[in-house]
Order: sequence, then structure tokens, then C-alpha cells
Amino acid sequence: MKVFIDPPNSLVLYDLVERFGHQPLSAMAAIQERVDNLEVDMPPMNVSLDDVVKGLKYAGVEVPSGIRGRLALWGPMIEEADAAIIMDDCPYSFGCVGCERSNLMVKYLIKRRGIPALHVSYPEDDEQATNFVAQTKEFLEGLQ
Amino acid sequence: MTIKIAQLSCGTEYSSVQYEIEKAARSVGAKIVYPDVSAADIDDAVRRFGFTPRSPQLKLMIARAAALADEKYDADAVFITTCFRCAEAALIRNELRRFIQENTRLPVVTYSFTERLKASQLLTRMEALVTIVSRKELLARERQTGITVGLDSGSSTTKAVVMENNKIIGKDWTPSGDVIQSATQVLNNALEMAGIEMKQVEAIGTTGYGRFTLGEHFGAKLVQEELTVNSKGAVWLADRQRGEATIIDIGGMDNKAITVRDGVPDNFTMGGICAGASGRFLEMTARRLKIDVTELGALADKGNWRNAKMNSYCSVFGIQDLVTTLGEGKSFEDVAAAACHSVAEQVYEQQLQEIDVRHPIIEVGGTSLISGLVTQVGEVLGERPIVPPDSQYIGAVGGALLSSGFL
Amino acid sequence: MSAERETRLLMISPSSMLTPDQLVRMVHSFGLTVTVKETCYGCLIEASAETAREVLSRVRERYPNEVFSKVRAYRCSDPVRCRAQHGTRPGYAQLEEEWSLLPRIQHGLEEVEKGAKYVPPAEKKRIPVNDFKKICEAQR
Repeated sequence: MKVFIDPPNSLVLYDLVERFGHQPLSAMAAIQERVDNLEVDMPPMNVSLDDVVKGLKYAGVEVPSGIRGRLALWGPMIEEADAAIIMDDCPYSFGCVGCERSNLMVKYLIKRRGIPALHVSYPEDDEQATNFVAQTKEFLEGLQ
Repeated sequence: MTIKIAQLSCGTEYSSVQYEIEKAARSVGAKIVYPDVSAADIDDAVRRFGFTPRSPQLKLMIARAAALADEKYDADAVFITTCFRCAEAALIRNELRRFIQENTRLPVVTYSFTERLKASQLLTRMEALVTIVSRKELLARERQTGITVGLDSGSSTTKAVVMENNKIIGKDWTPSGDVIQSATQVLNNALEMAGIEMKQVEAIGTTGYGRFTLGEHFGAKLVQEELTVNSKGAVWLADRQRGEATIIDIGGMDNKAITVRDGVPDNFTMGGICAGASGRFLEMTARRLKIDVTELGALADKGNWRNAKMNSYCSVFGIQDLVTTLGEGKSFEDVAAAACHSVAEQVYEQQLQEIDVRHPIIEVGGTSLISGLVTQVGEVLGERPIVPPDSQYIGAVGGALLSSGFL
Repeated sequence: MSAERETRLLMISPSSMLTPDQLVRMVHSFGLTVTVKETCYGCLIEASAETAREVLSRVRERYPNEVFSKVRAYRCSDPVRCRAQHGTRPGYAQLEEEWSLLPRIQHGLEEVEKGAKYVPPAEKKRIPVNDFKKICEAQR
């Protein structure tokens, strides 16, 4: 099944989803699609004005362009996802996920889709990490 | 030498403007770089800075600024840019600008972008950053020598000045039409006034929107953007070449607010989104009052803006306000004062919020001749600006002064 | 290769004894059509999606819980993302943070293999104001 990960560029979540037999939907895939598009020449990410305009589907014009551009990339993946794993209190989220307002909107869009969604906490010690891995594994194995 | 401009930003890549930023930098011989920081530096920098934004990318901006302040990363200038309409980023953008100015000697420019940003909108700003870095010695010049000419091809008017041994000996201006034709006309008149022939002129400096065209046509030794040239012209005319000052130039199409240290800009903002906040609005007002724009200032000084509230946030709405106000039977004097106040307020809200106003305030450009506007700028800022003689000739004077550096 | 191209990071958990050099040599030893680039954290591989996953599964056979992987949008050595060209891009700090978390995840995976189950953590509740007041009074 297709599992959206949030933060969408997380190594740990991507790895676990794949490890336990599902297809992660990630920021990297959305960006690769653009980077490999030879018809657009807007490096570094080839996110074009068209993308930002498409973001209007998720947020109005009064919302900053960076948010609309992000939602234009993550939004379609959330629509495509069968399930989602969300790390709620992630202490690191730079770059792709550097805008907190976009991150909040992503969580809301997942909720609105009504797909099975697992909220996990960032582990702070080995015990919590074991719990985090076990919880993620049980959720992914439970997806039919 | 490639000038390294450190970019501190949030949202540029997802707004599809990063490419435009890099293109603008490249076209003026500069390169955009990102100060290296590690994850551990970020928490430390944010703690030290004392403002913890929720968005992690803004934290990264803070850490990058700290790397510049600590001289852990080498750059020549700083460009701070974030999404237009993001409140969190606007706060960080301005405080980081202040932090950079307090902790480094690097020139800095801030900008808030929309997805429609094009490289051309950034060119003058990027060019100014590069000029400040690469022409330090030239910008330090305080005296004009020999016989030189400055040509300023602005959006509303074209100006020429002839200088000899640190004195203005000829000058003229005309409303801008064809770039070369307008410049040729004012140049000939200025030369005639000076009693000088073209072949005696040792160097020409051009600035303003038409600078490249004029530079090529007249074989100018100096072709430079108006931010640095106008600053030099302003401090020379106001005799404030040493120390700090703020230069306000309300132009026909865009406004500039520049802070200078010893005549060299270290921070500037340029507006241009809104005609309501520029000289254009005053021209429209004068036309509606059926007076010449040169009479507007004196008229405004006789009125009281409080009697005729007007909002020029958008020139269309502003004119609507104007029509309504006149319809209500308000006096021309009050309406003229209200129009001047509205422009002053817009400049305060849109430009002066992004720089730290330093004293004295020098108001220049064609609009500084409208005394009512100067009065209102003074009222808004709580200090009447200095308007030097020949204040509309700053660009031309700056061009003549700086081009003598090539003799 | 664009539609099929898969570029992957293979990141070694800092608590592993495996070195990037050993990892790269192991990938080469598979004899698959793959570009491998050694990095400070492990390596980058680039191949068709099928081959890239084959590489990953073979690495996992040998080092099941100490090598982690995700795909990368940019090709190996893409100058657009190269640190030497511009300085670090924004995602760098995040990777650094995730790398430091890997020993805990490695530990978690090992424990789960041994049969550890998810135990819902005890819910933390804020103390009632009256209790807090008593504590404050006791401190006087």
C-alpha cells in the first residue's frame, strides 16, 4: 500500500515503511519527478510557477507562495495515499519541511482524507525507540 | 573576482524563485552561497539570538546569520529574503538584518517575494550589493575633480549636471521621453549653462533606468545603479559625507530608503509595487486639482491633512478618495495636504519599516521640491528632513562625482 | 534512465562497525550495473529502480539493522545539490539529525526482532491547580 510519510523527507520513516513491505510516498519522489523533467529549467528543484499556481487548490492567494508551492507537491501524494505515518514532535525538519504552517496544513489534509494514520512520537531514548519501531511495524503490518 | 552573496532565506525554492535570484546574481558577476552550518549550530544560534520561530527553516536562517557574524563563513554581502505575507518570516527577516548590521560590516538587502518575482526586479539591488563590495575605493571619493558630467535617466525625468573642481557649473532636467534624446537635450543645455564644450568633458557617469543605453551612447566611464550613485550625490549635496544618515528618495516609479555610513550604503529598500506610494500619486492629485505639480507643495503647506482623510494605498482607491473628498466640499489645501500625508505614510509603512532610520534624514529626488511632502515626511518621522540644494540632481551629481574617479 | 532512475542514500548507523569503504566494496562485489559514490555517512547508489532495490536487499541480508536507506531526488554528483558549489543546502542539517538517531532505531529494530511489542506510554496529565498550590505552599 502507498503510505504517505510526514515529515515527507524523513529517512527513518521512509526506511521503516519500505522495510515493513509498503511503498512510501515521499518528498524525494515528488522532487525527482520535477528534477527529471527536462522541459522545465528552474533549478535547483524545477518547481515552476505552474506548481505554485496549482497550490491554490489547497490554499488561497493570501497564503505565502512557499506554502502553496509545498502543498502543490505534497497535496497530490496525500490524495493518492492509502495510509499515513506522522511524526508529531519531530525536532528536525529543515529544507523541504522548513515551514511550520505548511507542516500543520499537511497534517490537516491527512486528517481530512480520513485514511488510516499513525501518529508517532520522536523517540528520546532506547525504550521509546523500541516502542516507536514496534508501533510502526504493527501499524504497517495491519494495513490490508 | 566573483562576489559571494550569502543568501538567508525561507520559501524560495518552493515559490519557484530561487532560479531567478541566482540569475540576477550571476548577471552582475556575483554568486549566491549558503553559509555552512551543522545541526548542532542551529540550536545554539537560536538560543543566542533569543527569538525561537516555529518554522525550522527560519531557525536555519538564524544559524547562517550567526555563522557570518562569527566569521566562520566568508561572504561579501548578504541577501535576506522570505515569502511575502508570512508574518513569522517578516519578523525574522528584519531582526536578522539588524543582527547582521550590528555584528558585521557586510552590506545587506532584504526582500519579500511572491511567486511572480523575476530576476529583473532584483537586478538593481544585486548590482548595488556588488558595487558596494567591488568599488569600495571609488565610493569613498568625496571630491569631484576635473570636468565631468553626470546623466540620470529616471522613470519620470532625465537630469544632467556638469561639474568642475567640485562645483556644479551646469544643470538641466526634462520629463523623460526617448532615453537618448532626453539625455542629449539636458546635456546640451547643461553644457551651454556651464560654457563648456563636449570635447572638454573628461568623463561621464550614467545612472537610472536608462543607464546602460546612455552609457553606451555617450561612452560613459561609469555606468552604475542609482542606489549607490544617488547616495553619493545626496551626501555630497547635503555636505554630510562623514558619519551616518538616511536618504529618502520618493521617485516617480519607485521609492528608495537608504542608510549610509560615510556616504556608502549599508542597507537599502526599494519599493515599486504601488504607484500610490510614489510621486506618481502626487502628479495625479495635481492634475485632478487642475494645478501644476510644482504648486502642490505650497498649497499642501496651507492645509491640514486631518480635515480630508485620504488613503493612497492603491492609487486607484486614492483617487477615488480624492474625488469623494472634493465632492464633500473639502478645500484644495486640505486635500493637497492629505495627498502628501498619504504618500509619506505609505513610504513610512512600506520602506522605512525595513531599515533603521539614522539621523539626519536627507530627502532628495524631484519630489523633495514639493514642500508639503517634506513637511508630511517630517511629521510622520518626527523630524523634518534636510533637503539639500539641487536635491533633484542627486543621481546626476553622484554620476559626475564618481566618474571623476576614473580620471 | 529518467523514469526508472533511482538514486539512494545508504546510511550507516553511527553505532555500526561497518565503514563506508567496506559498504562500497560490498556493493561493487555484487557485480550489478550500479554507480556507487562513497560519502561520509555511507554511500550513494544510482541504478535502475529494480537494481537499486536489489542492492538494498542484499545489503540488508548482511547488515539488517544498521544500514538505512531512502531515495534521493537528485542524481549522484548533481552540481545543483553539491555542497562544494554553494555551501550546504537546507536538508543537510536534517540528515545530520536523522543520522544521530539511527543507533536508537537500530536498537528498536533488534528488540522488535526479539519480540518486543508496542506498549502505550502512560498518559501524562497536568496536576490539578489545588495540588500545585499545596506544593507551592509546602515550599515556603
